[in-house]
This record gives sequence, C-alpha cells and structure tokens, in this order.
Amino acid sequence: MLSRAASSLFWMARYLERAETQARLLDVSLTMALIDVPEDREEQLSVPLLVTGTREVFDELYNDITPQNLIDFLLLDDRHPASVFSVIRSARDNALHIRGNLSADVWESINSAWMELKELRHKGVTESNASRVFDWTRERSHVFRGAAYGTLLRNDAFHFLRLGTFIERADTTARVLDIRHHMATKSLEGHPTQSFFEWTALLHSLAAFEAYQHTYGHNIEPMNVAELLILKPDVPRSLRACLQEIASLLEQIQSGDARRARRLASSLYANIHYGDREYIEERGLHEYLTDFLERIQRISGQIQKDYMGWKQ
Amino acid sequence: MLIQTPPEGIYDELFDEDNRVRPSCRMLEDWLIKSDEDLLAEKRREADVLFQRLGITFNVYGEDQGADRLIPFDLIPRVISATDWQRMQAGLRQRVQALNRFLFDIYHDFDIIRAGVISAEQVFANPQYQPGMQNLKLPRNLYSHIAGIDLIRHNDGDFYVLEDNLRCPSGVSYMLENRRMMMRLFPELFAQAPVAPVEHYPALLGETLRAASLKPNPTVVVLTPGRFNSAYFEHAFLARQMGIELVEGADLFIRQNRVYMKTTIGPQQVDVIYRRIDDDFLDPLAGNPDSMLGVPGLYAAYRSGNVVLANAMGTGVADDKSIYPYVPDMIRFYLGEEPILKNVPTWQCRKPRDLQYVLDNLPDLVVKETQGAGGYGMLIGPRASKKELSHFRSLLKARPDNYIAQPTLSLSTCPTFVDEGVAPRHLDLRPFVLSGKKIQMVPGGLTRVALKAGSLVVNSSQGGGTKDTWVLEGDEC
Repeated sequence: MLSRAASSLFWMARYLERAETQARLLDVSLTMALIDVPEDREEQLSVPLLVTGTREVFDELYNDITPQNLIDFLLLDDRHPASVFSVIRSARDNALHIRGNLSADVWESINSAWMELKELRHKGVTESNASRVFDWTRERSHVFRGAAYGTLLRNDAFHFLRLGTFIERADTTARVLDIRHHMATKSLEGHPTQSFFEWTALLHSLAAFEAYQHTYGHNIEPMNVAELLILKPDVPRSLRACLQEIASLLEQIQSGDARRARRLASSLYANIHYGDREYIEERGLHEYLTDFLERIQRISGQIQKDYMGWKQ
Repeated sequence: MLIQTPPEGIYDELFDEDNRVRPSCRMLEDWLIKSDEDLLAEKRREADVLFQRLGITFNVYGEDQGADRLIPFDLIPRVISATDWQRMQAGLRQRVQALNRFLFDIYHDFDIIRAGVISAEQVFANPQYQPGMQNLKLPRNLYSHIAGIDLIRHNDGDFYVLEDNLRCPSGVSYMLENRRMMMRLFPELFAQAPVAPVEHYPALLGETLRAASLKPNPTVVVLTPGRFNSAYFEHAFLARQMGIELVEGADLFIRQNRVYMKTTIGPQQVDVIYRRIDDDFLDPLAGNPDSMLGVPGLYAAYRSGNVVLANAMGTGVADDKSIYPYVPDMIRFYLGEEPILKNVPTWQCRKPRDLQYVLDNLPDLVVKETQGAGGYGMLIGPRASKKELSHFRSLLKARPDNYIAQPTLSLSTCPTFVDEGVAPRHLDLRPFVLSGKKIQMVPGGLTRVALKAGSLVVNSSQGGGTKDTWVLEGDEC
C-alpha cells in the first residue's frame, strides 16, 4: 500500500486511541480530586498533565489547575494538540486523506464523531456535564474499533491501523503505570486510607479494575498491579498484550527489504514474554518503565522509517 | 399534496402540454399525491443528516478551506422513458465515438482540416491543443475514456447537447449516492417502478481503465489534487469503489521514464492513471512550473508509452465551446452518419457576421466564454441589466474569439420539492460515457436542478441541486 496511506492510518488510530486515553485519565483524576485530601487535590489533577507530558503547555495557557481549566485544556482546547478536540480533528484529517482505504463504516464513525464533537464543544462542557463527554469519547472509540474490526479487509491497511492503536496503548500504559504507581506507593506510606483509591484510580485509568479483581481478588498489592499491567497476556492494555500484537502485526505486514522495526519489536516482546516480577522488582519499576518507553518510541520511529519514510 | 403545474411553453418532465401526467410518470404522480409535505420535509432532513455523516460534501472555492457544503438533494426523481433513453444512448455513443476520432485525427493525419470541415487555426491555435501529442500512439486510439455530456430537453421535447466534457468530468459519485439515498428513504417506490440500475458504474469504470492499457493486468490508480479539491469526495469514492489506490502527486515518482508509487514495500510501477488533475498541472516540467499537484517527468514517461493517462493529454481541444458547433459535422465526416442528438444553434463570435448578429440581439442570447466552465463568465441576455449588457458588448468587441452565443433555451422542468411546495424547476442531465474495448454507460446520469424559481443555472457551485435520475426499463409503466 501507499506509504502515505500507511502513515495516515497509523496516526489516525493513534489519535483515536489518545482521545480515549485523555478522557479516561481526566475522568479518573476529577473523581480522585473529589475523594482526595484537600492538600493533594492539585497533585491529583495534575496527573493527566504528567502522563501526557503537557504540564508546560498547560501552564502557558492557564493560570492554575482547576477542574474547569483541565476540562477546557484536555477536552476542548484547539491550541493544545493532544486535547480530545484536537486529536479527533487530526484523526479525521488523516481519515480524509486516506478515505479510499477506509470502509464506509469506519469513515462514517470518524466523520460523525467529529461532527458531534464540534456540537459538544459549541455547547460547552463544565464539571457537571463532563462525565457525559467522557462516556461519549469512550463510546466513539468503541464504535471506531468495532467498525474497523467488523468491516475492514484484513490487509496492510488494517495492520497499520492496529499498529497505531497498540503503539499508542503500550506507551500510555507505561506512562500511567509509572506515574500512578509512584503516587499510590507514596500514599501507602503517607495516607494509608487513601491508598485503596489510588490503586483503583490506576486500574480504572487503564480499564483494568475488573481484571485485577478477577486475577488477584480484593486486596490490592503494588507488585500485583505492576505484574497485571506489564506481564499478563490476557489484560487488553497490558504491555505484554500490546507488544504481542505489535510483534505479530509487524510479522504480517508485507515487507520488502530487511525491516529493523520487526527485530526491535520481537526483541522487546521476548523480554516481556520471558520476564517475571522478580526481575522488575530488582530493576526497579520506574527504571524498567523508563527503558520500556524508550524502546517503544524507537519501535514507533523505526516503523515510520521502514514503511512510511520516502526521502527522494 | 398539491403539485404546481408548469408555466406554458416549457417542456415539463411530468406533465404534457395539456397538463396531463405523462404515462411513464403516473406512478410518480400517485406517490406525490399520497405523500404529505411533512413527511417529505422529514425525509429531506434525514437525507441531509445522512449526506453530512457520509461526508458527501464538496468544497466551494473562495470559501474557508475545508468548508464542507452539501449539494442540495431533491427527493423527487426525474423520470426518463425507456424509448427516450435508448435514443439518447445511441446518440451519446455516436457523439463520443466521433469526438475520439476527431482527437486522433488532429494529433495524427489532420483529415478533417484538409477536408476543410474545420479550419487549421480553430484547432492549432486553441490553447488546449498539445503539439507534443502529435503522432503519439495511444492504446486503442482512445483519448477521452470518460466523457460527461451535458444534455437539456428543449420545449420541442428533444434532447440537445449543451456541452461535451472530455477532460475530468465530475459528478458521477452524486449520481450513485443519490440513488442509494432514494432507495434508503423510499424503498417502496423501487418495489413498484422498474428503475434501471446504475450501481455497476464503478465496475464499468474499472473495466474501462484496465482496458486503457494493453498490458494484461495493469496497475491502475486515481490521481487527485488532494483533499481541498472540490471533487475530492468523488476521487476517494471512486478509488474505494474500484479497490484501487487514490494517489496524490507526491505519492508518485518517475524513474527511467516509468511511473512508480511509493509503497510500504518499495516502488511499485503504475500503468494507468485515472487523473483528476488538469493537463497544465500534471507535470511541472511540461506544464505549469509552479504546480505542486503533479509529478515531475510524468509527461515524458507518458510520451514514452510507459503509462496511460485517462483522459489523455490534450483532449480539452475537443470540448472547447468553439469546437462544439462542429461536432455534428464530425459525426458526418468520421462516421458517415446523421447526428442523433442535436446541437444548440451557436453563433461563433470569431466570425464577423455572427458577431454582428450577437451584438444586435444580445438581450435574447446567452453568451459564454469558449474556455468557461461552472457557469462563470457568462451572460444570460434576458436576465441581464443594461449595464451588464453594455459590459458584455465591450468584452465581445475586444476579444470576439473568446465567446460564443446561443439562443436562450428553455430547459425542461421537473417537479421539485422546494419551500413553496412541489413546484417545477429547470434541470439538465449529465450522462457519463465510458470508452474502452467498447463504449458503455449506465442508464441515466446526474440530473442537476436549479432550485430558484425560473433560474436556469444548475451548477452546484452556484446553488444548484441534484436529484435521482430514473431510466425506466420497458415501457409498461
């Protein structure tokens, strides 16, 4: 397929996944800010900014971290390239670019999401109706995924689209785990009563709360959480699940010359596949995740070089 | 619901001159009488939302980039009887065949010029004429693989050709989407009426494009100027329907006079380009040097015979309004047949006697630029103010060769659902004629309709709408 189309499919899927992530992160943070002791409220609210590395952009545009400012920034601000509004617009731009490669259903799901979002933005979002927008964003993400699964031919277009989803997801899981795990561990020492909520916030951010209970029961142990989100193959947002998909997708994609992305992905997947919690503990979770994030970014860059880069 | 009858002296597609419903339209009339206005209004809103969701929109030049506008869609179909269609189809075949013969001739043997039917100046001095195309051998000697012929029905009930579009005629996606929309909104109508299908157009187009190359299994792509082009929706739509790549200039490159596209597995050779970019922008080395849309070196690759362009370079010379008056003669000259479809009588202002007539009768005439399109740069005499008339007089005197004039034709009308209810509105028709191993078309075409009472301007860029076109199979209806 066309390199440009592969790139647009890849980014379109990344953007849509990012929209869902932003909504989940913000949703959890706003809820946590209500539960949290007052002095930690700002820390709670800043989590989405830390995870997405956008604290500086935020500070340039807003004076202080309030729920409404966060809602404006993360959901609707068109000056912020990672706001839900901006990423859905970018996804739709990319979709328009490669309309010929999309099924009518997929195109329609993205196009109508964009139309509805413009409407939502026009009406305005406040703390009291923000939940509706979070639900909406998640639903749109599900509809997109459903349309893609249900109607796209299983060819390279589909594979590049899924690669975008899983690269973005692996990246997100690692970042959320890194930051929230740190906060939860800290509060385990400082505010023991608070800790249960911290752990559930982490799990909810990654839609893994039910998975945890199913696997480990009600008691939340820090290393169990890490193990679940890194090593468990059956948790949809775990690093292992994402990497398994990435490695297998890269194997399926038609390949001309030697492709480095394949090697990088398979090697990272093997690391996780044969890894265990003792190794992660030994290494230190933060260091482990920092290394993982570097490697996932290298894979993403290499995918773009291998398949999408054309320097004439 | 009440259907307004048409004014006298105009052919109406539904009512005959005695205001009786034409036999082929009785079913339609029954439906209209039974439908109430609220239901139609609701269906129209439903259609708008669907078109918007599907993104069946176009961009209007001069407005904000990316401003998506809907082409107004009218719910009431225009009906064409089987007899009318058969005659029209034969006429279109004949016409497009002659036009392709003409294009071959003016780039090879010049028979028609030597025979004195058309002057050499008319052809060679035409800015659309591409000297570089001379003696180039094209597969099957085809130049215009896809032609869109604009027809109107005059008050004598006959169809007249208004314009031949041989370069990048657009609108076929609306023909297809209009049908889909009608079937979705009014399935019961299709259960009653024997409407000839049009859904296979993309298949025929694909077949035509593959036949444009002599290779057994050619790689075909659609080349678009990109998403800000007014017809981008159509380019993407057709590529998807045919299952081929939609490429932009930057996706292609030339190596050793061959065209390749940049794919994820490396360069892949392209054999046929269904290009939706005008000649001048296809290759910055050969045409407009500022063009970012085309591919440097494409023209040389084309001339080497390593790629086929559909439509060919230099077809514009045959759809120019100054050549249009000669098409009936072309049909006689190349095919030895009498033209089946009529031309609109045309005065060529380049001829002094014609110019004098035009200047003397300006308030009764329509004046058009020979290179004009989209309803721009024209004068409709009977509707023009004194100031406009005198402005056009000076334009005509300054550059007579730039203009032709035609009598103000009365385009036929068809019941259309507008604010005033169901009222007659003027319309035209653009059937799409495909030339490959044989000449093929789907029954009907794109019907464009002027939505303002009395208006003759049907162009979508100027507020015109579209409606579904029904060719009825058999005549039993």
